[in-house]
Amino acid sequence: MKRFKWVLVLMFIVLLSTMGIAKVKIQFWHAMGGWRIELLQSMAEEFMKTHPDIEVEVQYTGSYRDTLNKLIAAVRAGNPPHVVQIYDIGTQVMIDGGIAVPMQELIDNDPTFDLGAFMPQVLNYYRVNGKLYSMPFNSSNPILYYNKTLFKEAGLDPDRPPQTFEEVIEMGRKLVKKDAQGNIIQGAITWPFHCWFFEQFMANQNAPLVDNNNGRTGRPTKAIFNSPAGLKIFKFWKQLTDEGLMINTKKEDWTGARQLFLSQKVAMLISSTSDVKLMEMGSKENGFELGTAFLPRPADSESGGVVIGGGSLWIIKGHPKKEVEAAWEFVKWMALPEQQITWHKNTGYFPVRKDAVSRLLFSGYYAEHPDHLTAMMQLLLSKQTYATNGAIIGAFPEIREIVETAIEKMLNGEMTPEEALAWAEKESTKAIQAYNELYE
Amino acid sequence: MARKLTPYFLLIPAFLIIGLFIYWPAVYSFNLSFHRETPFGTRMIYVGLKNFKRLFSSQVYTDSVKVTIAYVTLSVTITVILSLFLAMLLNQKIPAVRLYRTFIFAPYAISPAIAGTLWTFLLNPVVGHVNYFLMKTFGIQVEWLTTKPYAFYAVVFATVWKMMPFDIIFYLAGLQSIPDELLESARIDGASLWKRITKIIVPLLSPITFYLVIMNTITTMFAAFAIIDVMTKGGPANSTTTMIYRLYLDAFAFQRTGKAAAESVILFLIMAVITIFYFRLVEKRVHYQ
Repeated sequence: MKRFKWVLVLMFIVLLSTMGIAKVKIQFWHAMGGWRIELLQSMAEEFMKTHPDIEVEVQYTGSYRDTLNKLIAAVRAGNPPHVVQIYDIGTQVMIDGGIAVPMQELIDNDPTFDLGAFMPQVLNYYRVNGKLYSMPFNSSNPILYYNKTLFKEAGLDPDRPPQTFEEVIEMGRKLVKKDAQGNIIQGAITWPFHCWFFEQFMANQNAPLVDNNNGRTGRPTKAIFNSPAGLKIFKFWKQLTDEGLMINTKKEDWTGARQLFLSQKVAMLISSTSDVKLMEMGSKENGFELGTAFLPRPADSESGGVVIGGGSLWIIKGHPKKEVEAAWEFVKWMALPEQQITWHKNTGYFPVRKDAVSRLLFSGYYAEHPDHLTAMMQLLLSKQTYATNGAIIGAFPEIREIVETAIEKMLNGEMTPEEALAWAEKESTKAIQAYNELYE
Repeated sequence: MARKLTPYFLLIPAFLIIGLFIYWPAVYSFNLSFHRETPFGTRMIYVGLKNFKRLFSSQVYTDSVKVTIAYVTLSVTITVILSLFLAMLLNQKIPAVRLYRTFIFAPYAISPAIAGTLWTFLLNPVVGHVNYFLMKTFGIQVEWLTTKPYAFYAVVFATVWKMMPFDIIFYLAGLQSIPDELLESARIDGASLWKRITKIIVPLLSPITFYLVIMNTITTMFAAFAIIDVMTKGGPANSTTTMIYRLYLDAFAFQRTGKAAAESVILFLIMAVITIFYFRLVEKRVHYQ
C-alpha cells in the first residue's frame, strides 16, 4: 500500500514537471546534405540547451528543389513546418505564395534585433520591395580555384591567376595537355554545368538578366540577357569547349567538377565559395598547392560584381503565436555571430554579419585561410547595383533550365552563340509571361 | 440477403484504396489539366484547352515526344531481341548454367537510381572504365553523357541493361515449356538452327513477346525516370528529355501544375490506346499453343 502511494506521488511530480516546462515544439526543414546534416542537428541541440522551453525538430528534406516541393505539399495539406530553408531563386515564388510571415514584421517588433549588423550585400539580395521576407542564412559566391603546382609546371606564374576571359583562354592553352592522338589528358578549366555561372558572369559585367531593373523595381515582364555581355559569355564558353580547354560536366554536377579539379585533371575550377574548406583539405590530400582568385570577366566589359547565392530561412504562417515566437527565437539565434562563425568554419558559406566577419578577422583567421579571404574580398569589392543584387524572377528555375539547354545546343553545334542566346531569351520571356499570368 | 452483400463488403477496403490512391488523383489531374494554378494553390484559373494547345505548339514538348518515341522503340527492340538470344543461350544444358543465370538476372534486383549511378561512373569520360577500354584499344575518347548523340545511346544502353533480366526470365520460362520432341523432330527432318528458331521457337514464344513488348513499353515510357535523372538530367540539349522527364520538370522543378497535369492526361491517353490495342488486337492474333 505504501509503495502504491509513492508511485502516485511520483506520477504527480512527473505530471507537474511536464506541465511546468511544456515545451514548444517547432520543425525546421533544411536542404543541406552530407556532413552538414549532423552539423545543423548539433547546432539545433546547442540551441535547445540554451532554450530549454523550445524543442527543435530538424529534418533534412533533400535538395533545394525537393524541399520546396515538400513545403508546397505540406502547406496544401495544412501541415507546414515552422522554419524552412528555401533557395535564393525561390524567393519570388515564396513571396507570391503569401504563406510566410515576413521576417521584416518580426524584426520590427523585436527591439533586440539589429539588422544593421548584417552585410549590405546579403540584405540587398534578400530584400524585395524594401522588405526582408526571410532571414539570410547560407550565402556563397563563385570563385576561381586554381592549381598552383600545375601552373608552375606549365611555366606560368603561380601568383598571377587569370582575371579576364582572354587570360583564361591564353593561360588555358598552356595548361592543357594532349596525347599523340590529340586526346585530352589534362584540361585547363571546368565548372559545374549550371546556369548559375552564366548569371554570375552577367553580374560581373554589371548586366541585368530581366527588365524592371532585374525585377527589383517591379515584376519582370521580359528577359533581356541577349546583350553584348551575354554573347561574350556564350562565345567564351563555346571557344573554351571547341579548343578542348574546358571539360563540361553533366547538368548541375557540382561533385563531378570538384573531382576533376581535385584529381588534377583540370588546372582551374570555377565553383562556389562554399567549397573552400573542401578544396583546402582536398588539395593537401592530393598534394598540390591551391590558389584562389576572383571570378574572371571579359577585359573590355564594365566591371560589376558577384551575386549572393544560397538559401535563407523562412517562417511559415498558420501556427499558433507561441510557436511563431519560438521559430523567431531559433531563426534569430541561427543568425548570431557565434553560429554564423561555426557555420562558416564548417562549410565555407560566408558569415552574413559584419560582426562575425570582424571577429574572424581579429582572430587571425583570414591570415591562416587566405582562400576564405579571397571569397570575402570578392563579395566586399562587388559594386552594388541592380545587376549584382541578383534578379528576382518567379520563373527562375525554368529560366535556368532554358539557358542550360541553349548552351548545350550551342556546344553541340546545333546553334550559333547568337542563335542560342536569342532562343534562350525568347523562351525565358515566355516563361516569365506564363508566370505573370497567374498573378494578373 | 446478408450473404449476397458479404462479397461487396469484403471488397470495400480494396475499393477504398484504389479510389483514394488511383481514381481520386486521376480525376483531380484531369480537372487540373483545364486549369492553371499558382505554386501554393492559392489561385486556380480555368483556361479550357489552353494547356494542351500550348503543349503542342511548344517545340520543347514536341521534341520530348520525338525523344520518347526513339527511346522507347530503340530500347524495347534491343531488349527483346537480346533477351531472346541470351535466354536461348541460358537454356542450354551446360555446366554452371544456374550461376550464369544468377549473374545475368542481377541488374533486375538493382534499383534504377543505382543502375544510373553505376553507368555514370563507368561512362565518366576521364576516369570511367568504358573510356579507359576505348582509349587503350582504339585510342578514342567519348564524352558519353555530355555530347549528342552519345548521351542518348548511353541512356538506352543502361535501360536495356536494366530491363533485360525481366525479359530473360519470361523467355526462359517460355523456352522451357516448348516440348523437346517438337525441336527434336524438326532436327531429324533436317531443319537448320535458324529455321528452328524462326519457324518454331519465335512463333511459339509470340504471346510472351507481345506481353514483354507491352510491359517494356510501359516501363520505358513511364518508369524510366530515375535512370535519366541520374545519368543526364535530360541533357544535353534535351536529347534525353522524354515525356515523363519533361512532366517531372514541369511539375516539380517549375511548379507548372496545370501544364504538368495536361501532360499526364496525354500520357494517360497513350496508355489507354496501348491497353486497348493489347486487349483487342493482339490477344486475338497471337499464336497460342
